[in-house]
This record gives sequence, structure tokens and C-alpha cells, in this order.
Amino acid sequence: MKFPYSMLLDFVETSLSAEQAGDLLTMAGFELEGIENVNGEPVLDIKVMSNRGDGLSVFGLAREVLAKDSTAKPTELYLNACRRFHSESAPEISNTNPTTSSVQIQTSDCTRYAYRRYYNVQNGLSPSRIQERLSKAGMRPISLLVDLTNYVMLELGQPLHAFDFDKLEGGKIVVRKAAQGEKITTLDGQERELSPHMMMICDAVRPVAIAGVMGGADAEVSPETNSVLLESAHFVNTSVRKTRTALGMSSEASYRFERSVDPGGVVAALERFSQLLAEVPGSASPGETVDVYAGAATPRPIRLRIARSDLLLGMPISEEEALSYLTRLGFRASRTGQGEFEVVAPSWRPDVLREEDVIEELGRVHGYERIPEALPRGSTTLGGPAGYESWKDKVRENAVRLGFNQTISQTLRDLSPLDNPRLARIGPRGINDPEMMWLRNSTLSSLADASRRNGGKNLQLFEMGQIFGHHDGNVVEATSIGFLFQGSIQAESWNSKPPGGSTFFNLKGLIGELAYRTLDGVQFQVPDYLDSRLHPTRQAELLGGQDSIGILGQIDPDVAERAGMPEDTMLAEINLFRAYDHALTNVQVRPISKNPAVRPDIAFLIDKSVPFAKISETLSSAAGDLLEKSWLFDVYEGKGVPDGQHSLAIALQLRKLGGNLTDEEATQVRERVLQALAGLGATPRG
Amino acid sequence: MPQVQDLESAALKEIAEAPSTARLRELEIKYIGKSGLITGQLKQIGSLPPEERKSFGQQVNESKERFQALLETRMEALKENEREEQYQRERIDVTMPGVPARMGREHVLQQAANRIKAVFTGLGFQYLESPDVEEFRYNFEALNYPPNHPAMDDQDTFYISDDLLLKTQATALQGRVYEKVKAGDMSLPLRVFTLGRCYRNEAVDRTHGHTFHQVDAFMIDEGISMADLKGTLGLFARAMFGEDVLVRFRPDFFPFVEPGVDYAISSPKLFGGKWVELGGAGLIHPNILETYGIDSERWSGFAFGLGVERIPMLAFGVDDLRNFLENDLRFLEQFPG
Repeated sequence: MKFPYSMLLDFVETSLSAEQAGDLLTMAGFELEGIENVNGEPVLDIKVMSNRGDGLSVFGLAREVLAKDSTAKPTELYLNACRRFHSESAPEISNTNPTTSSVQIQTSDCTRYAYRRYYNVQNGLSPSRIQERLSKAGMRPISLLVDLTNYVMLELGQPLHAFDFDKLEGGKIVVRKAAQGEKITTLDGQERELSPHMMMICDAVRPVAIAGVMGGADAEVSPETNSVLLESAHFVNTSVRKTRTALGMSSEASYRFERSVDPGGVVAALERFSQLLAEVPGSASPGETVDVYAGAATPRPIRLRIARSDLLLGMPISEEEALSYLTRLGFRASRTGQGEFEVVAPSWRPDVLREEDVIEELGRVHGYERIPEALPRGSTTLGGPAGYESWKDKVRENAVRLGFNQTISQTLRDLSPLDNPRLARIGPRGINDPEMMWLRNSTLSSLADASRRNGGKNLQLFEMGQIFGHHDGNVVEATSIGFLFQGSIQAESWNSKPPGGSTFFNLKGLIGELAYRTLDGVQFQVPDYLDSRLHPTRQAELLGGQDSIGILGQIDPDVAERAGMPEDTMLAEINLFRAYDHALTNVQVRPISKNPAVRPDIAFLIDKSVPFAKISETLSSAAGDLLEKSWLFDVYEGKGVPDGQHSLAIALQLRKLGGNLTDEEATQVRERVLQALAGLGATPRG
Repeated sequence: MPQVQDLESAALKEIAEAPSTARLRELEIKYIGKSGLITGQLKQIGSLPPEERKSFGQQVNESKERFQALLETRMEALKENEREEQYQRERIDVTMPGVPARMGREHVLQQAANRIKAVFTGLGFQYLESPDVEEFRYNFEALNYPPNHPAMDDQDTFYISDDLLLKTQATALQGRVYEKVKAGDMSLPLRVFTLGRCYRNEAVDRTHGHTFHQVDAFMIDEGISMADLKGTLGLFARAMFGEDVLVRFRPDFFPFVEPGVDYAISSPKLFGGKWVELGGAGLIHPNILETYGIDSERWSGFAFGLGVERIPMLAFGVDDLRNFLENDLRFLEQFPG
């Protein structure tokens, strides 16, 4: 809320500069967002919290200044405002029976409706002082009547609306919900279609204003206006809010009603308007006032215990201080016992409902800067992540150790050729921006973006984060880790041979190592169902037990083309949520042998159609316990090898626990292995 | 006899003239090897009269010892020369570039997250997570939001359906935890923190993103006060930004805390001495405690939030939020981890 500093000084006598007053308000919870000099006067811009509608007025902010600054003094205007501008000379108010009154309230969303009539109005320009102040507050001066309604709203927070009485059919006001299909043209010249939940101010036949939001053009005041009906009312905040959001509009009035306006200040605003109008020579004479109000609900007294306040705030505030702070804020507090008060919140503070709310008021006025720093006492608790969260940390740390650079990307995104074709996508409803219409269903989509951004060459990246989709009508979300490997594993250097490019087996080696460190056994197998993002003859499925937990492969050349990525892109993705069922949790150490190892090699010809996994499995089971490890060290095809076959050379490392292996034993193992492999069609070489 | 003496002088001469340790090793074999010239003299011993045998043997052995002694001295000297030559031969230019190493690096937001996690772990806060696609009730209802609160608007929140949304605040975890307390699956006192991705339907610019990361930490115990909150935040801020950081509270409003504040930090050395807002905080609203069957007279608690992106922005001077999720390695490589 913007207002010139002199308006605050109308209410408060203080030696504070505008900046100091702004800082003081900031520390009271009304943040000074800006201060600028307009025509030689500082204008404050104060941000008001959504639960403090009472701060949307100079009077309300003056109250806060007076509460915080004990040297500041209230002015006559402030004291008058506190008395609701009640004066003996004012015309009598008829609080009439709603059913026979000229005002009929037909909805509970309007809790109070008052008006005052003015006759022989000359709606010219408002006094230059008013015009200037409104301009500084960011409101355009229009005419005497409109300017005064705005000015009173700025001062007191109560929105007012002036109707040209001669334009009101039947000379009466009906507050009701709109009829289906009803329309109104608002002051901004726009025709608006109404819905039945919207509250309208109507005359005998038609809507003349959208309650609490904006007036209609039909009953607008003009330079010719002679007779005025000035509305001051209280509307339920949620109703105003719903209406104005449905209509997609907002006004100074709706902004205040949404944040709650003081129902007790409805008539005071009429009085203040009359006062200001009377200062304009020859303007008008006030006529009758009608106020339809069932009366304020009896406020519930709140018990305040000083000891409770001390405990929660962590700083002591005395009974005297508490009483003084609350009184300055307009609360009624009566002492009911040692360190105990019964507190009643004023009508402009609907946010204060329980003891803690009152304690907050004490703390706010006393000053949060006076709260000391302490540390919680109490039982020791075990900190940090455990279980799944802790295991995911371990996976991420190992990915980094293996040389992958971590990326963190948007999850709200556009479509990508690397989206998972087997998980239906979801996205936020009502979003039309193609850049954020979807939630990613694969981390590979994100890695594709990162690859493009970084040139698509010599990259080794991983992304760990959430993926989303829907499955059997349910929204699913899981943590996934994706890997991308492109180009060389090592940067070009004067000192090394030209580094080799990325291959399926480079990435398989890395993923295998990661799996070894974090999972309890992982198998790579030819997939049952091909993933269309990957090269159909260069992809593997990762299995944990019988569960499919991920994929690994070279990018499909078509997908590479569409995604603008090189064909030597290797990709892998593991669903960590599923993989966690197979997390490595327990390691059982094996004794290590002190005896030397024997390393016989075997070489054989075999059909290329026999999967190596089969060979490896056969070899292991044939070799038995003496086999410490084995590794493939040569693959050859070409000259001397029949078509459709290749020659494989495998090293067997044999070792015995607690004794030396004899040559004879080694030979036996080697023979057993070759014999078993012969069963797969292998013929020994050399 | 003269034969041994002649042999010895020839041998000693050869040692003196040997140019390399390799030559010395040859001479060693030539003269005192198994069938060396000096050692070989002992074969004649059988043909000598018995009374001469002892002295002859002695003579040969002494000759061999002298040979050996000279050989060793000479060997040492030559070895030293040769090592020196090797050093000169193997000289490299150590100022040439090293072979580039390939090491993985954590993203700068991960690095910030790790530091935050370490501090809270040290303070005994248990780390938990909640999903990005969150239930409406956890994101708002459980946190004491009145119906029709502005934050619930479509224009501010991404809805998947009426009941599901992209969580707008990491605080959404709290209801899940309180529910567990109510069900007896967790017990009081408790200290919990989370770090998660949040989404708000906002226009994107240098300081706003529709996606960002938040920490939410909260604890419930007997007698927890605003002073405990301030002290914990002070400890945290000093761990992140340095010893002389101060914490300031200012009243603010969040439906899930009462009193509610926003907290700012400042230090003479940082941020140009200005107060920099870090997040919202306060005492957990008693309405929430009571909703979950927690006696608000006995238990109180605090909660606070923090934007993860704020940490590298303040610590390293990152001035555009958009850098974080774009993954340009030229940006990420500046944070060694």
C-alpha cells in the first residue's frame, strides 16, 4: 500500500523521519518495500501481510507506529478515528427493519450495509490537496465524489461507493446473488457475464455494482449528479475473492475486502466522508443514513498467561508491558489473576483467535530483536538420512566417483525423443506453454538436453531425480538415475594415445561397477521387450533378481538424429525405487588365501550366436571352488576362424585356500572347463 | 708364485681402467668367478708340495680379497657417475601440462544440499523425503490453510487433479510426519528436516523460477521457544556463511506457524552489511499440533524453511537463478565441490 508520509503525520505526532517510520513498520511486520520522493514528499510503499487487512489504511498503520514507538503521540484525527468519528451533530441513523427497509440484504455474504444520502451535490473537482495525495498514492483523481471515497478508503481502509441516486430504479438497494445469465457493464467499460455465486448490489430491477469489487456504469456518478447514495458495507472476504477471481479482475476495494475490512468501521467511514465533504464550500448537505446490521458477534475472550508468553517467546515480558502493548493495539485486557489476563481482540483483528495469536502481538511490539539465541535442550535424537534416502546418497556418490558429472534439470518440460515410450506422461492441468506442459517420465530426456547444451562430445553425465507417469489410472512417481556417455572417456592430451570413443562396453563397465557397489547382484540380459530409444541390437535390460530395474544401450540412430545427438551416445537408466529391493545391505567377508595362484588360459572357437553370459555361467560351474576369477582377454574373428564363429581366450585364475594348487589339479580344472564348453559347441584351439 | 702376483696386478689395472659398472661385473666374473683366473689358481694347489700348499692358498685368497675390495670401491664410484648421467638423460620439463584426469563432480545445488544436510544431521535432525506430486491435503489442509487461501489458486499452483498438485513448499512433509505421530509410528520429541523440489506457477526471470528447492526443518519437544529457533538458525547460518553472521526476525505470516517470522542474516563482511532474507520460520501452529492429537500445552515446536538456491547465490555471487537447472558445464565446473 502506497501513501504520502504527510497522511501518516495527520494521525501521528512523531519525530521519526519517513525512513525511520518505514523501518519501524518493517519490524512490526509491515514491510517497507520502497520509499520515493514525489513532488518533494516521501511516499511509502508498505507490503501488508494477507491476514492483516487492518494495515491497508493509514489509520491502521498509525496504530502500529503508536504501539511500537512510545514517544509518538496520537493526533486529534487519530483519536477521532478511534471514536469512529461519532459526533452529536451528525444526522440520526435509522437502523431499520431489513424487510421493510430501502435496503434488502438477501445473502449472508453481506453482513452489514449502510448508506448515507447527499442532496444538491456539485460533483466538480476535489480540493487540490486531496488530488495531490491521491496521485501520490497511485490513484487517479476523477471527481469530488470519487476522490473522497478513495481518500476515505486510504485513510480508514473502508471502501465506499457513490451511486447517482436518480439512476437507481425504484430508489432502493437489494444485495443479492446474480441470476444466471445476468450481465453488468462495469466502470471500466467492460461488459461482464455473471454467475449465480457472485454477490451484486442491485436496484429494484438490475445489478448496479459487483459487491466489493467494482461499480456499474449504469448508476455511475457524473458531473451532472445531484443526488447521491453513498454505500459503506461489509462483505465476507471469501465471497469477494471468489467473485473477483472468477471475473479475472481486481480493484483497491476488492483487495481490501479479501483481506478483511473492519465491520465496526462501516458507519465511521460515512462520517469521515461527510466531514471531508463539509470542508468543500457549498458542496452538499447530508441526508438520512440507513444501517442494516445484525450487530457484531460477541468476541470470544482469550486467556493470556504471561508465563506461557515468556516460555514461547523465549524472552520475558512483564504484566505492565503486556497490558500497555495490547491497549495500544486496541485490545481490551483485564487482569484476572497473577500473571493472567482476559483479552478481547478488536473488531479489525479477526486474525487473533487464540492465546498464541495474542502472544505474537506481545512479541511483535516488544521487538523480536530482543529474543536471545538459545539452543534446544532435550533428548538426543539420531540425525541424518537412513534406509532408502541413505542408499540413494550412496548411489549418487558412487556415480560421481566413476567420473560422471551430475546434472540437475527441470522436471516440468516439453516432449523429448528420449521420453520413456512405456510410461504414460502426466502434466499439470491448464498449462499451455509447451515448455512446461509435461512432467518428465525419464531422466534420459533431461540428459539429452544437457548433451545438446554442452556440445554432445566427450561427456559423461548423470542425472538423479524424480520421474512421473500414470499407470492403471494411478499417478506414479519414482527416483531414477540416468547416465549418458559420449565420445572419449579422457580429454585429448599431448601425453596420451588418441583416446578411444565411447562404446556399449565402456558404459557397461561403469554401470557394472556402480551396481557392484550398491546392489546385491545385477544381471544384464537381452531384453524381453525392446526399448525404442535404444539401438535394437545393442541394448540390455538390468535385472535385480527377477525384477527389471533398468536399461543400458547405445542410442537408436533415428532417435539420435531426432534428438540432435551423436550416434556414439551410450545411455542407461535405473529406477532406484525398484532397485532398492535389491540394495546391497550386507557384506559377508571371505577368507583370503596366502597361497600362490595358478593362471591357465583357455582358447576356443565357438558360434557367435552363443551368448557370452552362457559361456561364463558354464565355465564357472564347471571350474568349481578353485576358480578365483576369470576374464575374457581376447576375441578374434577373421583369418583362420570359420564364418559365424569367433575365437575367445579366457584366463582362469585358480587358487586354493590353505594349500598350494598342484599342476595336476590346475590341469584337471582346465580340462573340466573345456569339456563343459564343448557341450556348447566350443572347440579348443592351440 | 710370481704368476699370482702378475695376475693380480693385471686385474687391478683392468679395474682401474674399467669405464662402467657393466665392465666391472665382467671383470668380477673373469677373475673371481667360479672359474675365474684368480680363483682358478687354487686348482694348482694339488700339484704343489704339501708344505707350500697352505701359504699358496693364503696368497690366492688375499689376492682375491684385494681384488674384491678395489672392485667395490670402484663400483661405487662408477655407479654414482652412471646414476648422475641417468638423471640428466631422464630430465623432463615439469612445467608441461599434466594428463587430464576425469573425475565426476556434484552439481552446485547438490553441493549446497550436502552442506545443509551435514549441519542438520549434526544437530540431530532426521532426514526424510516427500514426493513432488503431493496430495492437496498435505500441501495445504494439514498446514492450517483456511479454505480458499490465495496460494491454492490455479494461477499459483500446478494441479495434476483436484486432489494432487506439485508441492509448493517443502513444508508439505510436516503433515505426513504428524500423521505418523498420531498413528504411533513416530514418537515425540522429534527433529526432522527435508530437502525437496517445489513448484509454483510463476513467471521465470533472474530471481524467480517455477521450480526451486527448499529445506524445511522442524522439531517438537517440551518447552521449545522462539529463542531456540533463533539459536538454531544462528548456528545454521554461521555454519554456512561464517562465524560473525547474525540472525534477525521480522513478523511475517504463514498459516502453519504462530508466531510467524521471516528471518534474515547479516554479517559485517558479507552482503554489503545488509540484511538478507533467507526464509520463513516460527513456532508450529497449535491448531496443527492439536489436529494431530499432540497436547499443545505440553509440546511446542519450531519450523523453518530455506531456499537451497539462496545458498550458492549468496556464497558465490550467482545472480541468475536460471543457471542452476540449465546444466551448462562452463557454469557447473566453477564449483569444484
